[in-house]
Amino acid sequence: MQNALVPIKAEGTHDELIQLVSFNLDEEEYGVDVLKVREIIRMPIVTRVPNTPHYVEGVINLRGKVVPIICMRKKFGLIESENDKQTRIMVMDMDGELMGFIVDAVSEVIRISGSEIQPSPAMVAGGIDQECIAGVINQADRLLVLLNLEKMFSRDEKNLFTGM
Amino acid sequence: MPPIDCEDQELLDGFLAETTELLEKLDDDLIALEKSSDDTDLMNRIFRSIHTIKGASSFLGFDLLVKVAHKTEDVLNRLRKGELVVNPDIMDVILEATDLVKLLVSDIKAGEIQERETEGTINKLLPYLLDTAGASQAAAAASTAAPSPVPPSSVATETPASTAAVEATADSVPPPTPPTPAAVPVPAPKTAIDTAPKKAPAPPKPADGKGDDLSDNSTVRVDVKRLDDLMNQVGELVLERNRMIQINQDLQQSDVNRADFNEEFGKLTKRMSFVTSELQMQVLKMRMIPVEKVFKKFPRIVRSMSRDLGKEVELQIVGEETELDRSVVDEIGDPLIHLIRNAMDHGLETPEVRLAAGKTSSGTLILAAVHEGNQIIISIKDDGNGIDTDRVGRKAIEKGLITEEQFTAMSQREVFDLLFLPGFSTKDKATDLSGRGVGMDVVKTNIKKLNGLIEIKSTKGVGSEFILRLPLTLAIIQSLLVEVEGEIYSIPLSSVLETIRVDQRQFHLIGGQEVLKLRDIVLPLIRLQKIFNVQPRGEADDFCYVVVVGAAEKRMGLVVTRLVGQQEVAIKSLGNYLANIPGIAGSTILGDGRVALIIDPVAMSEVCE
Repeated sequence: MQNALVPIKAEGTHDELIQLVSFNLDEEEYGVDVLKVREIIRMPIVTRVPNTPHYVEGVINLRGKVVPIICMRKKFGLIESENDKQTRIMVMDMDGELMGFIVDAVSEVIRISGSEIQPSPAMVAGGIDQECIAGVINQADRLLVLLNLEKMFSRDEKNLFTGM
Repeated sequence: MPPIDCEDQELLDGFLAETTELLEKLDDDLIALEKSSDDTDLMNRIFRSIHTIKGASSFLGFDLLVKVAHKTEDVLNRLRKGELVVNPDIMDVILEATDLVKLLVSDIKAGEIQERETEGTINKLLPYLLDTAGASQAAAAASTAAPSPVPPSSVATETPASTAAVEATADSVPPPTPPTPAAVPVPAPKTAIDTAPKKAPAPPKPADGKGDDLSDNSTVRVDVKRLDDLMNQVGELVLERNRMIQINQDLQQSDVNRADFNEEFGKLTKRMSFVTSELQMQVLKMRMIPVEKVFKKFPRIVRSMSRDLGKEVELQIVGEETELDRSVVDEIGDPLIHLIRNAMDHGLETPEVRLAAGKTSSGTLILAAVHEGNQIIISIKDDGNGIDTDRVGRKAIEKGLITEEQFTAMSQREVFDLLFLPGFSTKDKATDLSGRGVGMDVVKTNIKKLNGLIEIKSTKGVGSEFILRLPLTLAIIQSLLVEVEGEIYSIPLSSVLETIRVDQRQFHLIGGQEVLKLRDIVLPLIRLQKIFNVQPRGEADDFCYVVVVGAAEKRMGLVVTRLVGQQEVAIKSLGNYLANIPGIAGSTILGDGRVALIIDPVAMSEVCE
């Protein structure tokens, strides 16, 4: 199982097929490794957790498990929008722990070959941390940003999270 | 030593599980054997255990283990045949050997076999295997266990020498240079190192540490009957689910009228809730383990301490079958060890003092566990000299913890509370056993962590009793649900002292801190709305509720909008990412599926300081 995951590298020298879940955020389309996604759910009632970073939306009850929820728009510094019918929570496995991410919409599972992944252009503007961008996929009709969400929280932030 | 090369992991796991269990039992049995040395059943059981360990480890090729087990077995065999008589010295050596076996097994468990010094222990066993050992032992026993003046035959010279070594270490005196003719090639320092962890520095520690390493907490043994019960419950649950599917289908095909559906569904709901609460109980019961798991290592600790301290102690254990949640069991081990050490070191007197005070020469230490409602009560009672309140007070004044006037105004209970202050000790000098003033602090912290209470009863000259009151489980707590501007929070009921409805105009301000005059105390107030940054909604009401919580000695009032009610809630962790939010202990899921956060009053008081 791991073999399929390892080659996600910016160099894109591999030809294995990689499956990605693509989702929308603002105007852009992003992709994450399908094996990291546990499930995709609609917005349930979120309980706010006080004294956490602003992008922590709160926690939800996922069939008896309490899962923290991160708002991707806030995390990436995008303009906040109202949740609508398309809004989904992607529950991801982050180093063995579940975490949910609010995205505008989840579109599909796509297959790409490793060679299609290009390194992300330097100097990407905006609030997205460089570190969690694993690369970009440039297809004829679309541009997909490949995310590595485990890198989303820089070390400082993890400490902030746990050491507050 | 080669790394563990065991092809069959399953086999190894089986070996470890079995050996661990045998070793746990072995300790108990050995202590029991010392008391009733003519119990042949017991003797045979011990022999079988060590034999099994030896057999299994030789099969798997753990040579060191085999060597130690083999020699121990040989000595036990002689005891069994009556060629040797059980006495404390032999027991010391055998116990040391079992400790070594434990150490080796835990090495195997950790997956890395280390080079361990086994010669020292084995060499202590060897003398007992010589033909003359029985005779010299008898002689040694006759001359009150002093090195016996056995005629210096070529073989016999070894015996007194090694016996001396054993005794020397037992008394935690640096071992004398071994007599030169020693065929026992144990250089003195080695013996010291070898036995060091077992000796005075911290007697309970090695036994405790090893015990913890060995006892596997990741697997549970469950009574088959309980499993059958659980299966029955699950069977019923499946039936109810089928019933539910049926009702749903009927409803979809709309061949039921509303009244019928309501009735059917109502019944189903009742049965479902019955089955699930039964299931909940069953699973909870499975998490329960007898407190024996902790208690059983104490006879060993008491034995080694009483030998080190030169005190005669009889340990009585009552109610070891009392069951409590494994999470609690895992946490009470350390506090209990400290309390037992305290009782042995401070409480009980030496035989001479006891006789002079008109007591029996042997002190009694009673360790008891009992259920009382929703709590388990563990008490450690000794019939020693009790707590000298004057001495405690003087020490506290000396250390500048309290003033003379404060002390004179103190009740006995308050004086006892001084014992829990970190760094407090009545001992003038820290010894290996006690005196650093850490123990009671550990006890208090651990008990507090478990939401438990500790109470001291003591009469000078008659004895003391330490009573621990602990919740049965940490997974489910009684809580008070409160509303703060629309958000629901849960406060552990164990820390709630009272709730009051007050007019906000009665609040006073002292240095920016809101306080409330409650009868004769001034209660600092914390507005949850403020520290949790809750958006106020609607009109502010003059009246609000104040939940008075007690955390340790401090009291404070939490200001909330509304009280929702009392509920039994299951604690859920917030996960690693949100683990350390100040003032929040965890979360729980309410009846409507929403998550409510559990407030930690202790942390709350720290946040506000």
